[in-house]
Amino acid sequence: MNRACAYKKVVILGSGPIVIGQACEFDYSGTQACKALMREGLEVVLINSNPATIMTDPEIATRVYLEPLKEEFVRPILEKEKPDALIPTLGGQTALNLGLALEKSGILKKLGIEMLGAKSDVIRAAEDRERFCRILDSVGAKYPHSKMVRSFDEGMAVADEMGLPLVLRPNFTLGGGGGGIAFSLEEYKTKISLALHESPSHEVLVEESILGWKEFELEVMRDKRGTFVVICSIENFDPCGVHTGDSITVAPQQTLSDEAYQAMRDEACKIVNAVGVETGGANIQFAVHQETGERYVIEMNPRVSRSSALASKATGFPIAKIAALLAVGYTLDEIQNDITKTTPSCYEPALDYVVTKIPRFAFEKFPGSKNVLTTQMKSVGEVMAIGRTFKESIQKAVLALERDPRGFAPVVTDEQRLAIPNSERIFHIVQALRDGRSVDEIYKLTQITPWFLEQLQQLTQFEAVIRAERELTQELILEAKRIGFSDAAIASLRELNESDVRAERKRRGIRPAFLQVDTCAGEFQSETPYFYSTYWSSPAVHSSDKAIVILGSGANRIGQGIEFDYSCVRSVRRFRTEGFHVIMVNSNPETVSTDYDTSNELFFEPLTHEHVSEVLAYVQPLGFVAQLGGQTPIQLAPQLVEDGFQLMGSSLNAIDLAEDRGRFNEICRSFGVAIPKSGLAANIADAREIVKTVSYPVLCRPSYVLGGRRMEVIENDNELESYFERHSAFISKKSPCLVDEFLERALEVDVDLVCGPDWTVIGGIVEHIEAAGVHSGDSMGVVPPQRLKRETAAKIEELAIGLAQRLEILGFLNLQLAVKNDVVHMLEANPRSSRSVPFLVKATGIPLVDLGALAILGHSKSQVRPERFQWQNTKQVAVKGVVFPFKKFFEADSILGPEMKSTGETMGRGHDYAEAMLKALVASSLTLPQGGEVFLSLRDKDKEELLPLIRELIAMGYTLSATGGTAQFLRSNSVECVEVKKVHEGRPHCVDRIRSGQVAFVINTTSGRRSIEASFGIRRSCIDYSIPCITESDAAQAFLLALQRSRHADYSVEPLGQMQKI
Amino acid sequence: MSGSLSSGYLILDDGLIFQGEFHGEVAQAGEVVFNTSHSGYEEMATDPSYYSQILVMTAPQQGNYGINARVWESKNIWIRGFVCLDLQNSSRDSEWLHLLRNAHVPVMTGVDTRRLVLHLRSQGTRWGAIVRGENEAMAREEANKLIENAKREKTSADAADWTKAVCRKTVEDRKGAVASGPRIAVLDFGSKENILREIAARCSLMRIFPSWSKADDILAWNPDAVLLTNGPGDPADVNDGTKTVKELLQHNVKHPERYKFIFGICMGHQVLSRALGGRTYKLKFGHRGSNHPIRDRLLNRIYMTSQNHGYNVDPQSLPSAVEVTHVNLNDQTVAGISHRESHCLSVQFHPESHPGPHESSILFDYFVKQIRR
Repeated sequence: MNRACAYKKVVILGSGPIVIGQACEFDYSGTQACKALMREGLEVVLINSNPATIMTDPEIATRVYLEPLKEEFVRPILEKEKPDALIPTLGGQTALNLGLALEKSGILKKLGIEMLGAKSDVIRAAEDRERFCRILDSVGAKYPHSKMVRSFDEGMAVADEMGLPLVLRPNFTLGGGGGGIAFSLEEYKTKISLALHESPSHEVLVEESILGWKEFELEVMRDKRGTFVVICSIENFDPCGVHTGDSITVAPQQTLSDEAYQAMRDEACKIVNAVGVETGGANIQFAVHQETGERYVIEMNPRVSRSSALASKATGFPIAKIAALLAVGYTLDEIQNDITKTTPSCYEPALDYVVTKIPRFAFEKFPGSKNVLTTQMKSVGEVMAIGRTFKESIQKAVLALERDPRGFAPVVTDEQRLAIPNSERIFHIVQALRDGRSVDEIYKLTQITPWFLEQLQQLTQFEAVIRAERELTQELILEAKRIGFSDAAIASLRELNESDVRAERKRRGIRPAFLQVDTCAGEFQSETPYFYSTYWSSPAVHSSDKAIVILGSGANRIGQGIEFDYSCVRSVRRFRTEGFHVIMVNSNPETVSTDYDTSNELFFEPLTHEHVSEVLAYVQPLGFVAQLGGQTPIQLAPQLVEDGFQLMGSSLNAIDLAEDRGRFNEICRSFGVAIPKSGLAANIADAREIVKTVSYPVLCRPSYVLGGRRMEVIENDNELESYFERHSAFISKKSPCLVDEFLERALEVDVDLVCGPDWTVIGGIVEHIEAAGVHSGDSMGVVPPQRLKRETAAKIEELAIGLAQRLEILGFLNLQLAVKNDVVHMLEANPRSSRSVPFLVKATGIPLVDLGALAILGHSKSQVRPERFQWQNTKQVAVKGVVFPFKKFFEADSILGPEMKSTGETMGRGHDYAEAMLKALVASSLTLPQGGEVFLSLRDKDKEELLPLIRELIAMGYTLSATGGTAQFLRSNSVECVEVKKVHEGRPHCVDRIRSGQVAFVINTTSGRRSIEASFGIRRSCIDYSIPCITESDAAQAFLLALQRSRHADYSVEPLGQMQKI
Repeated sequence: MSGSLSSGYLILDDGLIFQGEFHGEVAQAGEVVFNTSHSGYEEMATDPSYYSQILVMTAPQQGNYGINARVWESKNIWIRGFVCLDLQNSSRDSEWLHLLRNAHVPVMTGVDTRRLVLHLRSQGTRWGAIVRGENEAMAREEANKLIENAKREKTSADAADWTKAVCRKTVEDRKGAVASGPRIAVLDFGSKENILREIAARCSLMRIFPSWSKADDILAWNPDAVLLTNGPGDPADVNDGTKTVKELLQHNVKHPERYKFIFGICMGHQVLSRALGGRTYKLKFGHRGSNHPIRDRLLNRIYMTSQNHGYNVDPQSLPSAVEVTHVNLNDQTVAGISHRESHCLSVQFHPESHPGPHESSILFDYFVKQIRR
């Protein structure tokens, strides 16, 4: 290699908390880039506020700053570190925008820091639509006719001129935030105001609609010499009109002729050159007219992206790693292809398989939001699957969604669900084809390229064959498997048991082969340990000693995200260090765990019983680990054990003891631990009986729920009735509703611990900021606890250790407890690694995941010396901040409850609680208004409690406004305020006041279904206008603390200390 | 779906057998080669360089975007068989399959092409046959016969020069697009149409000569430059063409003031190299695809190229005055040469693309710039 590198120290900006449109793909990219630069001997300084990432592990960079990705915090880091260069192209739009801001502020110039990967001119050229369009003109590329709009009136004039429908694209926002398509003038008016507000530069591009055109994306790279390669072509199943992040996508492209594809490739190259991308990765999106083949450029991103992560996983080409090396001066021909080890990186991967990505959505978490897909991204995660054909690939991808073991399970179709893009559309298309509708009819409704529809039609035609054939013959099973049907799907079509079909298939020797992803379609010898299953080839024999299989967590979803990937990746490393051959199974293309060089072998497979079982049968490991990937692997464990595979760590019985409420409560009772009073109700009559003893408020939830689905706090009889009416479909004798005592205002804590055969290590106690009742994933948290009494903490530790021993935990245990009047109540036990584990690792420096791995391996106390790990020894205070996606879901309420809604977390570290809190809030992109009006609307029980806080706000110079009851209370306590009407009291009302920009922030506490509904407009307007809206009294206290602290801006920035050695 | 199809076999001359679905009427034998391009099946099938070869596509799904007469690289389909995993065949569109069937090209689908490719990669290119066959034994018997016949037929002394089978049999004139441009003679070894298009776009007049044409005949037409095209087979068997090129080179050395710049592509490159005294050898399994990186030392850049060749020039065999101008970065093989004194340049890859990336088409501009006017 040519050591042309002129840089000694570089700063890499991460992407911050996981939000819709910017998820853990940037952890994957950033981690890869850091590792590559470290290997080159550079000093790498990483800044990211997201503690759940792998990239913020101390080993990944020379120094890691877990600090907010905001100018005022990054500036002191730059001053302290004095790097040679800064790379803003690896952390999504957040890093790119921050890079621009830093450049604009002059700090880079002052300190002599060079911006690598993309100069600010390039970023502006690609991001500023007007400039971009001029560049497209200069290379003769076409694009949708459009106008830049800077005011509402301008917007109306443009609508007049161009006609509807129109697409709105606010400048400089991520994931198309604030954008959308307007079909009617009414809709246009609402959307244009919002879009103008959303754009940091108050500019919105209003664009001719290309709805229904085919959509393509090219992932390209360029080096400083001008060598240009296309890493991957991606074709969207969903035509234009659906954000590419929300579209089902396929790689490589399937329906363009070579002529059309090469013309697109030429254009991409010209654009990249004209924009001025000197080195690195970029993606360019194109629209192609279904009939005429006319081609438009939609947009380009001069950085690694969600699709570049997908492209890396789809091809085996490590885009981010190469981008980082290019940024510091290498050229593509100087970098070896990691996969073949013999050829250079200046080539274009050739694929001999088809890759399908399907996004995963969370509409059910946001009641009121419409399940409609537009140009604004709404999905929270994605799965990818590899098959030899599109049919095999898409069926595997659908199975990877973990919806139904049959894959395309039957649904009842309706025209609307076909015509209007939505998260369920593919299922409705398949059903419509099953019901005999023609490809042509569906094409007319959906504009999906007929080739794709026809492939789906062939699936449904084969379903009919499976159903009709007299016997399950060798040919029939083999053909069905090659088309991607699961055993469960075949069983259901033949009205058999899944296990019978499986047994018959195995008896006939029909087993999957595991083929290699090698970037070159077999042309060169390669040793990449990256595999996918297919029935299109003959099985080989696998050999490895000391193999351990780790099951990942599948698609990111609310409640199961990057935190679990952290546990997987970190433990892979530990198991490898301990000399094991570690095999990773996962279906999520965004993660570090699915990087081919994380584990010894990677199997990119759906996390279903059938697929995982086949991997295990193939690799014959010592055992498999199910406690790292969240709930998904825990649920697979019993079937895999039944298949004869060895579960490592806690036994099935231990898992069941913790998860089965009845058994767990009994154990708690035997320990003398308080548990909330509770009862099981099969109907409303039962429930009425239960509330006589349990007494309101109660917490209701159907059995077998995840992430708090349909969980509600019920305050009175009316609400109870309503609850049972609304959720009757999920409550029955077989699946009764749990009615639990709700510990109002209790202090909630999370405890994570690891248990070996004869030892335990407490990872820490996270004290929640919000009171019990807010889902633990949604509440802010702090380590070390600030309100928990020392003796209570000691009691909790003792209890946790005792319980873990009683449950015979080997590995991880997470407990959720509530403390009320010094009494500790047990809420929940999770026999696995948890969401809070990475946060605790970063906060305390205890390598908890490594310890968990050693526990699973059965290391003894004398080997581990657990007494070395004392979480209380931490000197800094760490606060967990939370980010929510409400903005993307119009009509959704932002009030917090027992159902989890957040997508990501941040960490604020400080010398004291206030500083940590301030940083956590800032990192979560909450603004801290330094003055102005605070609007208050409080429920009765909070008024007295919040009075001192309100007085403090006045003292700090804020003014107050409040609705009737709150205003009256304030006046009676001699606090001055403006009284504002509630929404139902006529206009102008409080929501008008918020929307008109008169309010700096809002404190709105409320409970009870009716008052929650009545105050919805307040919270929604705050979301729409990015005004902080605090909905819990404890959160209000925390917010005040941060406001006070923000008045003196002497923030300390300190790198994360080393993790304790094992 | 199944049922209506008949099963068939692809059998290699080393005995390896693949079962799949057979589409077509006639069985055929040929040299089995694989191409890793994602698209461009129609261009490949009509490329004369695939003469007598069975084409295996590594991209699993073929025929997805139908057919288009405009992209034909010659007037015929030259391949002797088409093998892939899955081929578009529905009531809406089965154009590609029909085209192949009408051209009597046997098609095999459902083949585990990955296993086949890995085998060819490790064992080297082999002959093989696509046969229908009642059962394996009968299929083997038929295949072996076909392969033997084909080998005998294609390698017999008078048929060994494959360029003669595919090139134009008479001289053909074409007008170029640039009235003031050069006159270019094309020595046709089995030219792809797009080479001619690229030349026509840059010349005033073009005359295409059959591969056996004599240097004197070419010079008599008084061209400003000569282009040597791509073509099929072993360059060592292209004796007439090599002799002609040798004489053209001698003309350039002897008459530097009247030199005819010579530009060779693929077979043209191999023939030129041999004419300059070099030797060619058979690659283990060839280079066929659209993603091969080339370092161009002339223009000082790296670009992706379209490739389709089974033979290569041995750099050790080249006289020292011959400069290696282009290198294949995958395996460091020779991908282009030039010789100052005899005014020539040639490349192993396809600057005319079709299929494949277009970047190296700048070589046509470079060629035209070298022409003495």
